[in-house]
Amino acid sequence: MLNGFFTPDLFASAIRMATPLALAAIGGTICERSGVVNIALEGIMLIGAFFGVVVTLATGQVWLGVLAAVLAGVALSGIHAFASVTLRMDQIVSGTALNILALGLTGFLMEVLYGHPGATDSIPHQILPVFNFPAASGTGFFATLWNWINPLLFGYTPIVYLAIIAAVLGQWAMYRTTWGLRLRALGEHPRAADTVGVRVIAGRYVAVLISGALGGLAGANLSLEQVGSFSENMSAGRGFIALAANIFGRWTPVGSYLASLLFGFAQALQIKMQAYQDVLHIPVQFFLMLPYVLTVVVLAGFMGRAVGPAEVGKPYEKE
Amino acid sequence: MPVLELREITKVFPGVIANDRVSLALERGEIVALLGENGAGKSTLMNVAYGLLSDDGGEILVDGKPVRIRSPRDAIALGIGMVHQHFMLVAPLTVTENIILGHEPARLGIIDRPKARARVVEISAQYGLKVDPDAVVGGLSVGMQQRVEILKALYQGARILILDEPTAVLSPQEVRELFGVIRSLVTAGLSVVLITHKLDEVMGAADRVVVMRDGKVVGETTPSQTDQIGLARMMVGRDVVLSVEKGESHAGEPRLTITDLQVPGERGLEALKGVSLTVRSGEIVGIAGVDGNGQTELVEAIVGLRRPSGGSIDLKGRDITHAAPRETIHAGVSHVPEDRHRRGLVLEFDLAENLVLGDHRDAPYASHGITDAQAISETARQRIKDYDVRTPSEHVLAGALSGGNQQKLVLARELGREPGVLIAAQPTRGLDVGAIEFVHRRLLAERDSGTAILLVSMELEEVMTLSDRILVMYGGQVVAEFDSADADEERIGYYMTGGKVAGAAPAGAQPAGTPDSAPPAPPMGGAL
Repeated sequence: MLNGFFTPDLFASAIRMATPLALAAIGGTICERSGVVNIALEGIMLIGAFFGVVVTLATGQVWLGVLAAVLAGVALSGIHAFASVTLRMDQIVSGTALNILALGLTGFLMEVLYGHPGATDSIPHQILPVFNFPAASGTGFFATLWNWINPLLFGYTPIVYLAIIAAVLGQWAMYRTTWGLRLRALGEHPRAADTVGVRVIAGRYVAVLISGALGGLAGANLSLEQVGSFSENMSAGRGFIALAANIFGRWTPVGSYLASLLFGFAQALQIKMQAYQDVLHIPVQFFLMLPYVLTVVVLAGFMGRAVGPAEVGKPYEKE
Repeated sequence: MPVLELREITKVFPGVIANDRVSLALERGEIVALLGENGAGKSTLMNVAYGLLSDDGGEILVDGKPVRIRSPRDAIALGIGMVHQHFMLVAPLTVTENIILGHEPARLGIIDRPKARARVVEISAQYGLKVDPDAVVGGLSVGMQQRVEILKALYQGARILILDEPTAVLSPQEVRELFGVIRSLVTAGLSVVLITHKLDEVMGAADRVVVMRDGKVVGETTPSQTDQIGLARMMVGRDVVLSVEKGESHAGEPRLTITDLQVPGERGLEALKGVSLTVRSGEIVGIAGVDGNGQTELVEAIVGLRRPSGGSIDLKGRDITHAAPRETIHAGVSHVPEDRHRRGLVLEFDLAENLVLGDHRDAPYASHGITDAQAISETARQRIKDYDVRTPSEHVLAGALSGGNQQKLVLARELGREPGVLIAAQPTRGLDVGAIEFVHRRLLAERDSGTAILLVSMELEEVMTLSDRILVMYGGQVVAEFDSADADEERIGYYMTGGKVAGAAPAGAQPAGTPDSAPPAPPMGGAL
């Protein structure tokens, strides 16, 4: 009955689904390590997805679209940085306002640019997988092995690989570089960092902007790699799931990536289950719900035990 | 030529002149004590010198040259280092990471970790400041953390070291060790400014004393030219009694009896591992110990703020082991909490409201759930008068009072309800000499009127001045008991730092729980 359920495609799909979550989660990790909560990742992702498509449709250059997505993310996070670091506004309020702004702005610009709500046209050329190796024919051991390895390792579009690189590079930078050491100090004890001459405000700005860039890239992955067009509210809560992944990953880039894999797998699973709807006789809405239920369960189970940066969410003010 | 000279520094905060044309010169190889009460402007002055605050006037000279210090970065570059009262350490980072933070040895932004570690080991050996470079700072003792702070300043190349109230959190042994370290630093050519309000430290450690009061320098002297009384007079501006006279105690029946009390702490560790003690009417039992050895948990368990996992708390024959705070108050237990801002007062409430908190449900302050503003105000006015709380009226917000007046307010409420038992935790924390004198007098008067008092304090001197019996807590246990008559700092300090665990006790001390057994042989040379 469930023949062909656990195929290489299911796991490859999990990695694809994990990518926007992971990019945003790594961004969230860097941001929170500096002492700023970035609940605006949801809106950053959405606005990145939108401007990626807009620029791609306007120029026909999908890589310009990716660049636009990143810049849009940086711009929105710049507002968050200004509000929460410079003006010392409540970071949750600022983030929430930006999420609403992103939702409204993309909806509004849809009307202005394309004259209708809902979804944009598809972009002419979606971003293709980096490699394109043929599948092996036959049923021998090596043929089967290749048919697992090929989609699982070589079947992805560029941003999927970028997310993995971001996780590894981020982890290394956080624990091996001057920047990383100072970043970790900023979220724990900004005054201590200040007293040894580390620039707290600048450091927090950089961290928030990096999270914006990664969030924008997550949006590009969503609209330019996964779907090929933009539809309203297409981030669909992924920015919030990413924050959960950041917590579950204990505020580390690699941990965030691995936690995102879990949520990505839940998403891949629910998509796959939809295909089996006729066999399982369960309404499709139930499957759609699964990744969010998992988020709640993970947060309820692990949040109490996870200890984040001590000064996260608190604006820094000189005496 | 002074290595550091502050000329006519002025610093104004909204409504207050924190520093009013203050001048200070520090010679090479000298220890200058900057003495003054809380709020006299000592820390403000040094924060200006360290670039944490910008001055509103005046001039700073290093090695005779005028300099601009806009940030700690500038100060560090000039060879000025500062150890703050509240340590500037990042708890989850290692010792090495904390020391190099901001001045990391790195190539292309990548930290050279072997080099960083080697440098820390080198400096640590050079000045005899032993420390594990790979230990996580959050897990170190306070004394060790302070050592890391000093190493950090030395690593940054400090020639001028500012220490802000460095002994506030240390045990007597650690204090002595610290002053040993400071001496060796000075011998090595450093110059030290010691911010303090403790007179004995000044007399023992400083070469020269600069006294500040109300934002001004009011005098300068050397320890050989004066004594503690003279210093106190300069500091407060009037004659003060440094140590209140204590009469004989007339201890009566047991009021509070705690038996084998166990309380869980953070992360599954036991905060109290079976504490037993008795407080009788008319006596003060003092608990000495370094912060974090279960004192807070003990107090919270007694007053009902924390749930014990075993043992019992008995109040005149009534079991209050699991009583809620409201019940313990009604049973006659008053509590002066260690943190008057978080637990002692509602800062956004006015004095009258604060003065009846805890009794506010009962007559005459309320009937049928409706408060009686008149009755509350009357009581408030009376208590404000009795306890000499300096305020224009009872309708001022508690947050607007000075620390000393806030503490008087807490005492007025807690003693005003005439308790049978008083739990006083850190009753003089952060208070100045005058206010301390007041609190001490009140506590002794309360004892003489028959109240049973349990006093918890990190200030060993306070415990020794006030207590009739002294218990020492270490690692969640009472490790020694002394009669105040034959207690001395040396021996108590020995137990405070876990001396009993080390295997032997100095002569005269009485290990807790075995009052009849002979004291073990003393270790060579006393403590540690």
